Amino acid sequence: MLVCLAVCFLLNISLGSVHIPVGDIASSLSGGQAGKNSWEIIIWNYRLPKAITAILVGMGLSISGLLMQTLFRNPLAGPYVLGLSSGASLGVAFIILGSGLLPSFLSVFFLSSYGIVLASCLGSLMVLLAVLVVSQRLRDTMAILIVGLMFGSFTSAIIGVLSYFSTAEELQKFTFWSLGSLGNLSWTNILILSVCCLIGLLLSALCIKPLNALLLGERYAKSLGINFKKTRLIIIIATSLLAGSITAFAGPIAFIGLAVPHISKMVFQTSSHYILFWGTLLFGAIILLVCDTVSQMPGNDFTLPINAITSIVGAPIVVWLLVRKRKFMI
Amino acid sequence: MKSFLSKYSLFLLLLFAVACKKNEPDSSGISEAKTQNSIRYAKGFEIYKYENFSIVKVSNPWPEANKTFTYVLHKKGVSLPDSLKNYTSLQVPVKSIVVTSTTHIPSLEMLGVENTLLGFPDTNLISSEKTRKLIDTGKVTEIGANQSLNTERLIDLDPDVLVGYSSGSDTKTYDNLQKSGLKVFFNGDWMEESPLGKAEWIKFFGALYGMDEKADLLFTEVETAYKEATELAKKAKTKPTVLSGAIYKEQWYMPRGNSWAASFLKDANAAYLWADSEGTGSLALSFETVMEKAENVDFWIGPAQFTTFKEMVESNPNYAHFKAFKDKNIYSFSSKKGKTGGILYYELASNRPDLILKDLIRILHPELLPDYELYIFEKLK
Repeated sequence: MLVCLAVCFLLNISLGSVHIPVGDIASSLSGGQAGKNSWEIIIWNYRLPKAITAILVGMGLSISGLLMQTLFRNPLAGPYVLGLSSGASLGVAFIILGSGLLPSFLSVFFLSSYGIVLASCLGSLMVLLAVLVVSQRLRDTMAILIVGLMFGSFTSAIIGVLSYFSTAEELQKFTFWSLGSLGNLSWTNILILSVCCLIGLLLSALCIKPLNALLLGERYAKSLGINFKKTRLIIIIATSLLAGSITAFAGPIAFIGLAVPHISKMVFQTSSHYILFWGTLLFGAIILLVCDTVSQMPGNDFTLPINAITSIVGAPIVVWLLVRKRKFMI
Repeated sequence: MKSFLSKYSLFLLLLFAVACKKNEPDSSGISEAKTQNSIRYAKGFEIYKYENFSIVKVSNPWPEANKTFTYVLHKKGVSLPDSLKNYTSLQVPVKSIVVTSTTHIPSLEMLGVENTLLGFPDTNLISSEKTRKLIDTGKVTEIGANQSLNTERLIDLDPDVLVGYSSGSDTKTYDNLQKSGLKVFFNGDWMEESPLGKAEWIKFFGALYGMDEKADLLFTEVETAYKEATELAKKAKTKPTVLSGAIYKEQWYMPRGNSWAASFLKDANAAYLWADSEGTGSLALSFETVMEKAENVDFWIGPAQFTTFKEMVESNPNYAHFKAFKDKNIYSFSSKKGKTGGILYYELASNRPDLILKDLIRILHPELLPDYELYIFEKLK
């Protein structure tokens, strides 16, 4: 799979609307010169950051999906479906659209990349906690899904109200943020994103063993000597860190978090997180790289929105899951 | 926003229809009338003047409009021939008006009739000080935002005429208003693709106010100034390369070779890099394509909504790789705003192409207009 990831990575970098010979790409990446200066810029400042972002986003979202599916013991959980992404949007909306109300020294901080990441993480954390509270009362899969959906509409309604009261400039800023994109991150932003993702992924890696126990139920996990509360806390922090920071930089991206864990479950035919964790991690990166390559349509001037591609891949999987829900064992 | 809409515009050339009408008696059978269409550049409307009335035909108020709107303007007490009774008729000069696009405001002001304006949707978009005063004193009523007009308030205002614009064939609100007895005239200035064609729409308003001659005169002034500026630009010794537009939703929107924006660049004697692209409206390009072609571009004119270099790199750090960015040769039309945030360009540009062209000449060939001060464009900060 690592080989496959490397191939996808190279494929992603070598394909795009401008045709750049493979030789030039290789020489440019290995520190030499590409045939043209503009090619150099395209490779180093557009394609490479985009590919790295795709890998980070793919990994982060997939893992946060896996964590949520196990935590809720619900095959349909995922950051997008349960409204975490919309929660993150709400956090950012409060900051960008409400920046006029904050004292100036605070608004300077909050409008920087760090502030937006923080707000976005807090937003998704809030939604996650809310869903968690509701899910303890309602054990039904469908109910939790509907609750997630409701949170989604609720947050978008609040954003609608906020945008009504904000100035055209603030609104424009927010619209541009909410469109999201894998392709316009600077290297500094990528660094912040990588740090957040790395912490999130490390935290989740710590939970692999307890996660396996959780599959068998809360009580069983406790009887194995696992500190359930602590595990749950770590999972929640990791999930909101991953979903929040990714949404902050790349905008809401649909279905990856939901679909990838299932794909790796299907491929590996296991429910052990020792394997699933790494499988999901790599699959997430590969699938988002492929989606991004497809969205660029090599040799074409069309750039399809990444969300359209991930939804085309993800939506059928959700339907398929619902159809065979009865047989489904998590 | 109209500039976005115009991207989707397709143009049905109506020259043929115009040519057929020339010097022929109108089907209404009024033989002694002067039946020549008095519109020279605009392709979306025609005016035929007769003794006691005139006929205004608007043929292209939105993309792929398949219907021509015919309006009959007559003086008080004139009885119209039966053949014209099916059309919307209006007694001129009108004493009160509601317009729906900021591009209509300069026409009213140039004709000196801005005090007849009763209502406007989203009055904050209006920048002109003259009209702003009227808004501040409550003489102009807010009638809703953009194309979602407040029907009740409009009926209550009861203007002599409502000049509407629509981005598509869905005109339910206007149809409703028409049923309630309001006279709705569609204005298609935003569909015009030539600088002088857009400006000629002042004659549409001239006809409404019975000020045809004044409108003709005002337009001729603009036309002369525009042509003089074009001649001046031809004297330039250099032909700098120009890039335009910016990225929106992963796509770089670049005006096509025959579009309104590209016509200005051509007349300003610039080497617009996409001048060869066919058609009107905009191309949607990927960042990579633009980067490869325009890396060493001299000037960047109209980078969408951006007004500072900082905003640009925050939105997309790759903007900084263009030569025009490094040399700080980026000029925006989004900086000059009215008190309430309306962008001057969206209001004035269609009526005053001469100012736009002079601005561009000053930017691209400063030696030709050494003492001229930029009116609409501004260098990015």
